[in-house]
Amino acid sequence: MKCRKCKAPAEVALPSHHTAFCRDCFSIFFTRQVEKAIRHHALIKYGERVLVALSGGKDSLTLMLELSRLEYDVTGLHVDLGIPGSSPPARAKVEGFCERHGLKLRVVELAKLGLAIPDVKRYINRPVCSACGKIKRHWFNRVALEEGFQVLATGHNLDDEVARLFANTLRWDAGYLSDQGPCLEAESGFARKIKPLYRLTEFETACYAFLNGIEIHSAPCPYSGGASFTGHKQLWANLEHTSPGTKIAFYDGFLERGRPAFAHVEQQTGAPLAPCETCGSPTSTGVCGVCRLALAVAERRAADPDRQTGPDRQ
Amino acid sequence: MITVLVEPDNETLTFKRHSTVLRLQQQLGLRVNDALVIRGDRLLTPDDRLNDGDLIRIRKVMSTG
Repeated sequence: MKCRKCKAPAEVALPSHHTAFCRDCFSIFFTRQVEKAIRHHALIKYGERVLVALSGGKDSLTLMLELSRLEYDVTGLHVDLGIPGSSPPARAKVEGFCERHGLKLRVVELAKLGLAIPDVKRYINRPVCSACGKIKRHWFNRVALEEGFQVLATGHNLDDEVARLFANTLRWDAGYLSDQGPCLEAESGFARKIKPLYRLTEFETACYAFLNGIEIHSAPCPYSGGASFTGHKQLWANLEHTSPGTKIAFYDGFLERGRPAFAHVEQQTGAPLAPCETCGSPTSTGVCGVCRLALAVAERRAADPDRQTGPDRQ
Repeated sequence: MITVLVEPDNETLTFKRHSTVLRLQQQLGLRVNDALVIRGDRLLTPDDRLNDGDLIRIRKVMSTG
């Protein structure tokens, strides 16, 4: 197989694009996809400071490296979840990556905030992935606002976005369908959230990470087994295999024709937001969900004679 | 014979018969873009031929959370 552009031996075959690239031409293709996403959706404006959420996985580290090469003012933010055996190696990968590339990094430790994920799993009666996601989003936004970042970037790729859109569609969740997309504008106490990798698949970000020598944390979260999200991705991988190009067509079609309709509905029915009485983050419930979680964990841990982790053990 | 290391499962497999990357992916139940296929410091495409003695790394790309 030869590179479509320069006819050198190809290293990356992309059936969705009916093409293949050598490593140099793939790098150009990848950068153009990111630039196209940024330009088309006005994701980053001149001079803005960008906070990049870094998990240690291929997508977030790839995003950080690519944005820094495009000369955006980027700072990484890693949320240390406090999961024994899982969080330390993930954090080490992020810290090593930032040091190697001379990139700024900020770390939030949930254990010091009374919200170590093992405690949340133990004391809160709701799916831990849902609570963990809520806590991470809360801290990403809070750090962005408190430390003067205009933009919060995440490494969500096309596969993530299509699986999420599919799940939202299965529930006809008008709230989420009204604002899912590569750019969520800043409003009511939220920084602008952007997904510059939304045009690129997991395979493509994995190729970029490998070809650029990025060392990634690839072990799955010990708590994520059986997540429906993974099943949806498998289903879409089958669809894409039989009909290359289906994923991007589904997602682009939603952005163009689906989201505006749901946004219109939500504008008429969405609950108003006000600052959280405890932390000031926007919420529709007086005290925000994360502050309520922290309070519940603290109360139940204090009442638990077998408690094993928490801020008092740091 | 070729040796195949599957990541992130850390499983090592050996195959006596070998032909192309596509055939290997099919034997492992993988679609073309389910995993990187790595030989040395290079990525392989589905039509690349495998050679006797090759050490191949299969790096699955689907993140699971």
